[in-house]
Amino acid sequence: MGGLKRKSSSSAKSVAKSKKKKKGPHLPNSILKVIADQKRPLNSDEEEEEDEIDSDDEHGGDLYEYEEGVPEEESRKNNRYDRHDNYDYELPDDFEDENVESEDDDFDGGNSENDDDDDDDRHTRMLQSLTGMPSAAFQGESKSKPVLFTEAYPEGEFNPTRDVLEGKNVLTEEDFLAPLEGKPGYHKTSKQIARMRKDTKHVVHAPLPKPQRERLERKAVIGLVDGEFSKWVHLVKKNREAPTVYFNQEVDLGYSTVGAIASEFQPRTEFEKKMASLLNDSEVSEAHRDDGARLLELNEVSMEDHIKKRDHIAKIRNLLFRHEAKSKRIKKIKSKTYHRLKNKDLKKSSLGALMDPEMAKEEAMRQEAKRVEERLTLKHRNTGKWAKRMVRLGLNAKYDATRAAIAEQLQMNANLSRKMHSMGDGSSSDESDDEEGLNDGSDEDTPSRLIAKAKEKTLKTMEDDEVPNAGLMSLPFMARAMKKKNEEANEEAKRALEEYEEWENSGGENSKKPVSVSGRRVFGATAKVEAPKESKKDSDNFYDNSDSDNDMAGVEDNDMEDVRDNASPARNTGTITETEKFDDAAGNQASKTTFDVAMFASGSWKKMTSCKNTESKKESKKTRAPISQSQDKKGSRDEESEDSESEAEEMVDGVLASASKETFEIPSQAELINRAFAGDDVLDEFEKDKEEVLNQEVPKPEKPVLLPGWGDWSNVQRKRGISKRMVMEHEAEEKERKQKLKTRKDARLKHVIISEKVDKRAEKLHTTTLPFPHTSKEAFEHSMRMPIGPEFNPSTVVSELNRPEVVKKTGVIIKPVKFEEVNPNDEVDDEHPRNHQKQRSKKKTGKRQGKVKSK
Amino acid sequence: MRIKTISRSVDEFTRERSQDLQRVFHNFDPSLRPMEKAVEYQRALTAAKLEKIFARPFVGAMDGHRDGISCMAKNPNYLKGIFSASMDGDIRLWDIATRRTVCQFPGHQGAVRGLTVSTDGNVLVSCGIDSTVRLWNVPRPSLEDSDLSSEKSAEPSAVYVCKNALLAVDHQFEGELFATAGAQIDIWNHNRSQPVHSFKPGNDSVISVRFNPGEPDILAVSSNDRRMIIYDIRMSSAAREIRMQTKTNSIAWNPMEPMNFTGANEDGNCYSFDGRKNEEAKCVHKDHVSAVMDIDFSPTGREFVTGSYDRSVRIFPYNGGHSREIYHTKRMQRVFCVKYSSDATYVISGSDDTNLRLWKAKASEQLGVILPREQKKHEYNEAVKNRYKHLPEIKRIVRHRHLPKPIYKAIAESRAVNNAKKRKDDRRKASSAPGTIVTKPLRTRRIINEREVE
Repeated sequence: MGGLKRKSSSSAKSVAKSKKKKKGPHLPNSILKVIADQKRPLNSDEEEEEDEIDSDDEHGGDLYEYEEGVPEEESRKNNRYDRHDNYDYELPDDFEDENVESEDDDFDGGNSENDDDDDDDRHTRMLQSLTGMPSAAFQGESKSKPVLFTEAYPEGEFNPTRDVLEGKNVLTEEDFLAPLEGKPGYHKTSKQIARMRKDTKHVVHAPLPKPQRERLERKAVIGLVDGEFSKWVHLVKKNREAPTVYFNQEVDLGYSTVGAIASEFQPRTEFEKKMASLLNDSEVSEAHRDDGARLLELNEVSMEDHIKKRDHIAKIRNLLFRHEAKSKRIKKIKSKTYHRLKNKDLKKSSLGALMDPEMAKEEAMRQEAKRVEERLTLKHRNTGKWAKRMVRLGLNAKYDATRAAIAEQLQMNANLSRKMHSMGDGSSSDESDDEEGLNDGSDEDTPSRLIAKAKEKTLKTMEDDEVPNAGLMSLPFMARAMKKKNEEANEEAKRALEEYEEWENSGGENSKKPVSVSGRRVFGATAKVEAPKESKKDSDNFYDNSDSDNDMAGVEDNDMEDVRDNASPARNTGTITETEKFDDAAGNQASKTTFDVAMFASGSWKKMTSCKNTESKKESKKTRAPISQSQDKKGSRDEESEDSESEAEEMVDGVLASASKETFEIPSQAELINRAFAGDDVLDEFEKDKEEVLNQEVPKPEKPVLLPGWGDWSNVQRKRGISKRMVMEHEAEEKERKQKLKTRKDARLKHVIISEKVDKRAEKLHTTTLPFPHTSKEAFEHSMRMPIGPEFNPSTVVSELNRPEVVKKTGVIIKPVKFEEVNPNDEVDDEHPRNHQKQRSKKKTGKRQGKVKSK
Repeated sequence: MRIKTISRSVDEFTRERSQDLQRVFHNFDPSLRPMEKAVEYQRALTAAKLEKIFARPFVGAMDGHRDGISCMAKNPNYLKGIFSASMDGDIRLWDIATRRTVCQFPGHQGAVRGLTVSTDGNVLVSCGIDSTVRLWNVPRPSLEDSDLSSEKSAEPSAVYVCKNALLAVDHQFEGELFATAGAQIDIWNHNRSQPVHSFKPGNDSVISVRFNPGEPDILAVSSNDRRMIIYDIRMSSAAREIRMQTKTNSIAWNPMEPMNFTGANEDGNCYSFDGRKNEEAKCVHKDHVSAVMDIDFSPTGREFVTGSYDRSVRIFPYNGGHSREIYHTKRMQRVFCVKYSSDATYVISGSDDTNLRLWKAKASEQLGVILPREQKKHEYNEAVKNRYKHLPEIKRIVRHRHLPKPIYKAIAESRAVNNAKKRKDDRRKASSAPGTIVTKPLRTRRIINEREVE
């Protein structure tokens, strides 16, 4: 067991004590005494002479969790000590006991002038500053705290006291000096020590406890790191507020020039190596560097090479010239058919050119086989069911598509069934025909002879053109194409001849025919009848002469055109004559009316007019024109207009006329208005309108009805009637509707309709809430006011208006931010007005407008 | 009568070159174009739809590893190169353009857990659970090599052995140092076989470490004891620490805002912090439905990409609570690492299915050379869409994403749970005395910071 030790009772002690008085259990004094008695013998040997036992006021602070103060009376009771006066001292109310441990390390008794000091810390600090020693150094003498000894053996060299172990209560200089006092040299030593104490510079402080040290260190690090971070704030702020951040500025694209790339080039393939060896030839480069004469030497070309080259160029040029000439000639030919066929041939020949001659032969054989088949089956001669039917019903004349289909078949048939070698025959016969015609013409007069000559010439040239033995042209289809070309030319010549003849013939007749205003359009109604006949004849011809060499497509096309041309004028003239007739009868009326009249011409005339009148009467208030029209009509047909209704109208007119003529009384304004709006009941109409709107916006619930179906036939359902549930539902719905009607804005406004319909389309254009950066609707709408598109802004600002927040470039490495001083007072550069834009990014606030309709 | 004639100078209307645009005079009087708002809205709508139509984010996959990808590193100096390491100790250098392996770095036994490249792009540092740090010389990319199909393999230039397995490594920006994390944090110099400095933040192992790109001496680590700690390597102790309810798997500093960093948390959220404040997060980024495994900032600092255990990759704005984009494919498994390319145009993800995947950072971006007029058109579309983005129709189109079923369901479920929790809280609040129940804001809810004892 240990005892309580009391070394010195200082004023600081008393402070602590008075503090302690407030807390801790109050031990009976007797127990304390016992403890003090036990302690005394143990400590007596090491106590200094000034040590006194104060068992009453001090007790085991370590023994108990907390210490207890001694009541004042008690201490007074055995007041053997003067010092107890100090107990009167009271702590200030606001004193905070923040460092209980400081009780342990109090100051030494030597500094008794500090008795009245009331603040431990301050005192310690002062001491420290005075002596330059850590507070622990003072603990030795000042130790006022009782310590509990737990050692089983008396302390000694091998069993040090706890104080010693803890570093408290160690021996100080004074301890050593005390015995020397009064001895020689003491003064000197004490002076030296005093000097040492004053010398604060060389004092090494004892290290702080680890947690405390760490705490301080962490504080320092935090300060450092925060400082590092804080210096970036301006830069970051600037970056964030910038409307656009650019990351494409420092672009290093590597090689900047072709030369730079070329300089790194290493020849790898053989060709490249060869080229490189030539390029890097020192001889050549030297020659370049010199005057160039050597270059000429190096550039020597042999005579043979030169001739070869020249011949080659001449050949190529010649070929080119021929080709040009040929294409020029072909280009000159105007015939569409020729070009069409030529293109077709070109297509085919491109195929054929790819094929070798064998393939071409095969192709020709295939064509031949097809032709044979056609001749055998006559598949495309319009002998099929469908074609026959079409022809029989005359549908081919009626529908263009049908006609075209039939013509196409015929064309195919003609193509396929034509004998390959009969072509020459056909053309020769044509020629002979033509020549006969020419002869006929030439007999008549000189112009025709001229034409014949010209034709002859053309025919000749055509013949010259033909190179049937040449490779491509010898192909059957090429030959055919050439034939066709010839025929085409012949045809044209023939037509020209005919025209000429016609012209000659009509020379005398022109005066007789007054009708002809514009070419073929001039056919009268008679021509109309003729035309179909002609075409029919023609088509018959086709059937009969399908083997003939005529170019049927061409002929047919012409005929068809004729038919069409004939038909339309005929139709026009027909209708025109009809309408003219009516025009005569009805006088000059608008064309619309005449058509109406024409429609009803066969029916009852009167009936129609009456209908018209009633109609016009209904609309009379609004439409003025129809009235005048009908009146005109009536005027023109006075004899016929004896219907009661038309009479009535005339009566009205009459009354009005008479009123204005005879009585000059000016009716009152109200009367006028009444009279003017005599017919319409505005209020009623409005009420109806409103009801309609209400019904639309708040639809009426459907009435419950009996459904046909189960139970219907048995009368059971009918007897039961509509189920209660349905009736109740209906009633509830009605109630709801009434409620809704009541809450409407226009419920009490009799003359107003306020539509509460939400337009779903418009809904899409509203936001329900105000977008984030905006604080008011006005600001938001203002920001949305200006459009940003190129149509609405000059091109100089469009790109700025549309600039994205981050401008970067693919392939450019973006480096982390670098520190630079930013003047916080500088404003964000406003060269790019994108920040307006940014704020602007919003929409309209949701406001729903009610439509107000009032009357 | 005076006749006003139009006088125009010839010079003004003569083009200098035939390619010059003809001068066009345009009347911008708004009264002549009364429908501008309607027109622009319609354009915005079209732009939104077009964006959806052209959204083809997946560029390609790079396969070759034989085990799940554990970590990646981008070469800060060379756009086309990316390093990846797998759980079987294989390290590869990929050429992104051709999507082929350029070089292999064999040597590690066991999983490689950390990869990093020095800022000059010359040294690759790898570390793994075999307790070694290996330094490699990165092969120089050259024009001739690009067409060779054969893969090279490299030898480590240095091998340093430690006592414990290493879980992460990061290189200082523009410096000589790199930091490894494991049982403790070691700071190494390239040329020394012993760490020059060590920190021991606690008894749990450190799982990620990142140097601050702006402040080269500051680094942030996260450890298994759910803490994130900021160190200054010039000082011996930690500056700030933040303890959360769940651990942070990875940390990324904002390269444009050196004080800000974001942690990828195990709870599926990302938390952005200001390095000067540890009481609350600046922003909580929610959307993932499972732990976020890795995070990397876009070099523009405006976005970051996250890879999650829920098999998806998401892109978040740096200050937005929800992701802008989600990328997923049927075959992509748990994503363990993600990187944003150095030009902020691509995103690379490495997942458990042994593949690296290359994505466009902006799903509908047009790649390749863009003519100026095209560029203008894109910009206008973007601007007009941005302007009308609050309108319901456009918002709907822009926000719409197709999600994999598991994620969709998980989101719905967590939403239901959160709603229920909120409802309950509301009721408790309503039925108790005012002020007795305080709801912590989301930004501080998951943070447990012990009060510093003064």
